[in-house]
Amino acid sequence: MVLGEDITITILEVRGDVVRVGIDAPRSLKVHRAELLVQLEQSNRQAASPADEVVADLTRALGSTGGTGGTGGTAGPGEPTAPSAPRPE
Amino acid sequence: MTAAATAELVTADLPVLEMVRPMPGFPDHRRFTLVRLDDEGLLCSLTSLDEPGLRFLVVPPDRFFPDYAPEVDDDVVADLELDGDSEVLLLVVLTAGGSLAATTANLAAPVLVNAGTRRAGQIVLDEPGLPVAAPLLG
Repeated sequence: MVLGEDITITILEVRGDVVRVGIDAPRSLKVHRAELLVQLEQSNRQAASPADEVVADLTRALGSTGGTGGTGGTAGPGEPTAPSAPRPE
Repeated sequence: MTAAATAELVTADLPVLEMVRPMPGFPDHRRFTLVRLDDEGLLCSLTSLDEPGLRFLVVPPDRFFPDYAPEVDDDVVADLELDGDSEVLLLVVLTAGGSLAATTANLAAPVLVNAGTRRAGQIVLDEPGLPVAAPLLG
């Protein structure tokens, strides 16, 4: 559990082996964050290196969702160019 | 991607991104590049230059999540060296299924790239309720 400064842990109840604690944190998000990081790690590991066929399927599917339509131009798949970026307002 | 292909990437004149905020689960992978996979530049591969074969699929979120407008705090602005003139790429990591319908996007931690300085990071947002696996197709 990620704890920082000014975190108060209160024993709410002791029943045999079980101790219920309350956590009073100035930002309860700190505790959430540890759990979120675990979720993110898992998500990234799952997302990492999809199979080539899956990538091909998605590339095709995205090509058919509309937009301006493919022109079949000179750029082939895998061409190393950065996507266009939105301008900050 | 083979090691030889990765070497070619490095020697080619490609944008090498420096992940000043590494991806959770991949703390030592700092150097990536972006490879466009489709003609429109919608689907990209965030490809590791440190480990052959490691890559993530990313998309700009606005096509699928038009209302998604993450805010980042000052620490992020500082780490990415953003200022008023910065051009910022906003990307979300996809967990690919076999189809668009089975594919999800991580809205809880987008990837931000300072296009000018190439500093980048996967930013853990401070907003509760943002899904780690949001379906692309609602």
